[in-house]
Amino acid sequence: MAGVDAAAVKAMPRPAPWQALAWRLAPFFSIGLLLIAWEALARSGTFTPFVLPAFSSVVARIWSDAITGDLLINTGLTLYRAIVGFLISAIGGVAIGMAMSRSVGVRWFFDPIISVGFPMPKIAFLPVVILWLGLYDLSKISIIVFDAIFPVVTATIAGIKGVERELLWSARNMGARDREMLWQIVLPAALPMIMTGLQVALPLSMIVAVVAEMLMGGYGIGGAMMTASRFADSPGVFAGIVEIALVGLVLVKGMTMLRRRLLIWHQEANEPTTA
Amino acid sequence: MSDSAQIVIDRVSHLYRPPRGREVLALEDVSLRVTSREFVALLGPSGCGKSTLLYLIGGFFPTEIGSILIDGQPVGGPGPDRGIVFQHFALFPWKTVRGNILYGLERQGMERGEREKRVQDFIELVGLAGFEDSYPSQLSGGMKQRTAIARTLAIDPKILLMDEPFGALDAQTRHLMQSELLSIWQRTPKTVIFVTHDVQEAVYLADRVAVMSARPGRIKTIVDTKFDKNDPNIFKAKAFVDKVDEIWNLVRVEAIKAQETRPS
Amino acid sequence: MKSLIRYSPLLLLALAWEAASRLELVSSLALPPLTSVLAAWFDLLINGELVSNGWASLYRGGTGLLLSVIVGSTLGIFMAWWRPVNALVGPLVELFYPMPKSALIPVTVIWLGFGDGSKILLIFLGCMLPVTIGAFNGARSSDRTLVWSARSMGASRMRMLWDVVVPSALPELLSGVRTALALTFILLVSSELIVARQGLGYLIGYLGADGAYEAMFAVVLTVAFLGFAADRAYQLLMNRMLQWRE
Repeated sequence: MAGVDAAAVKAMPRPAPWQALAWRLAPFFSIGLLLIAWEALARSGTFTPFVLPAFSSVVARIWSDAITGDLLINTGLTLYRAIVGFLISAIGGVAIGMAMSRSVGVRWFFDPIISVGFPMPKIAFLPVVILWLGLYDLSKISIIVFDAIFPVVTATIAGIKGVERELLWSARNMGARDREMLWQIVLPAALPMIMTGLQVALPLSMIVAVVAEMLMGGYGIGGAMMTASRFADSPGVFAGIVEIALVGLVLVKGMTMLRRRLLIWHQEANEPTTA
Repeated sequence: MSDSAQIVIDRVSHLYRPPRGREVLALEDVSLRVTSREFVALLGPSGCGKSTLLYLIGGFFPTEIGSILIDGQPVGGPGPDRGIVFQHFALFPWKTVRGNILYGLERQGMERGEREKRVQDFIELVGLAGFEDSYPSQLSGGMKQRTAIARTLAIDPKILLMDEPFGALDAQTRHLMQSELLSIWQRTPKTVIFVTHDVQEAVYLADRVAVMSARPGRIKTIVDTKFDKNDPNIFKAKAFVDKVDEIWNLVRVEAIKAQETRPS
Repeated sequence: MKSLIRYSPLLLLALAWEAASRLELVSSLALPPLTSVLAAWFDLLINGELVSNGWASLYRGGTGLLLSVIVGSTLGIFMAWWRPVNALVGPLVELFYPMPKSALIPVTVIWLGFGDGSKILLIFLGCMLPVTIGAFNGARSSDRTLVWSARSMGASRMRMLWDVVVPSALPELLSGVRTALALTFILLVSSELIVARQGLGYLIGYLGADGAYEAMFAVVLTVAFLGFAADRAYQLLMNRMLQWRE
């Protein structure tokens, strides 16, 4: 090394190890800070316990619900409805999208319905669905499917449309038949888009599940929160928020992990995530 | 010599720290002096750190080992005394040709009437009259690069830094742009540091060619390449062909080395 | 003519609706004929219910969305540009983003009651994060050579943020706002259905409870149309703002 002494290179400013550690711990720091601020604000008496119950009392509430079993029933039911609705939307949406891509007749019929229906607030039809299907799971799951199927259909169509011509030609060239083309070429190539559609549909299923439960009452996190708020039981309401936030977080993270698994061949190192 | 040097690069090394993975010594002990209004090409295989050196001069990366002086002052950050042209043009896609060229003039606080006139002058200088209101997405590669060059020249920098400016153009356009750049440079002489991996381009354009070695980047030799650039048959002249050959042999060794040491 | 063929399936659906109801294939209580729904719509328009409730909904939705766009985009751009902001706020964004926003309905009611305030707060909180994430991803992907170009032409750091980072973020930011627009309708209608004394969602629930199903269908279709029209109008605006692309 002519001229540059190793000492000079060593002397170059570089981040100290404790700094790297600080960046790593920052997430826990800010979440911890939020919880402490919540607790402190609630205890300071600035707000009444009705407006802002202490974090500790909300945790206590979740704990007692866990012991009585209410927690399991409520989160379980909400999850069941959201996931069943989501799965029906996923399968049905991909099927409709595929049928639309392959058949002119199907496309003619569904295209205007999808393009007009996609941006509509389908939730407004909730009272209609109740009128038709009653107050039980059937109507809750139906409204979820009605809402969540649209993004899946549009994503499937866009994904199939975006498959490169050259890819199809070379597969044909190598002797792939129609059915093989669909399962081995078209669907895998469209998978990134389809996954994006599913990643929209899943949180939507949760949102609609909660609204449906709030409006129709009964068991489920949404229903429990409405009951709590009717009895001015604000720890119950906040407990519901914390529970549903955790459930949503787990589902969305799980979906992201599934995407990474399925699309390991797809170069998308920078999946849209925040941090 | 020391008095007339405008850019003094003295024993500069640069350690590149990728967000993940090991740090890389991109430049090692590079020294170079460039006099005012000289055209110097930095030539080397890809990954040899020639662009890094350019970014250090531009002030986009901090110089941590060694020093870079411009007119006796250490480089502190980017500034309008050093204009830069990038390989992929770096035009503001949301601004028209006129808007792009105007931008630097507005930042210089130039008065409106003068500004408009100057923009028109530079649009004509690079032959883009009639495309003033086009967005970059509507232009060909050559036109984009003309816009970028006009944008940089319009703020009248003392030093022009060019980072493989013709590397993204097709062969014909590249040829045309080279001779246009030369004629512009002859009319409004500036100090130019020109990064390229095209040997013929370097010999044709530059007064001197600094040949760089594969990673870590060092300056291997500096070759004098003064020719009569206005000679229409320069590319066939024996002296020119020999010079290209001589430098090509130097570079080839490094290119092979770079292939071998490149992390997969 | 071309659009007639394109949209004829919708026409067919409307005809099927009318026929099914008139021929008593389904109970006209469950599905009143489309023509009676239209008649009910005109009644609602004339007696002013549609306008006064629509106005209340528009005010809530517009204010909440506007607030969320302003705060969300600012936050996202600062997160992309200053690491400490990202380190502090980023984890909270990631924590709250997947939360089903409708769960905030009872909380906003506890905080601000049954009126406009709670709806505006709900929409603001619910719509902010999609905008923040759009702005963040857009700003983070701004090309460094654009940033450098601006700096070397004499732009200060603040100036560069405004002149380069904000426009670079615009495509993703605007598509985040489109998500927020859709969420605005969902949250607005849900919260009005569940707890309100005014608004189109409230009107739907009120008419339904009253057994005035023609009128209820009329308002449901109105809301659906408004959501559709808002999205189309927004897309036009978005294409105008991004006309420099291609």
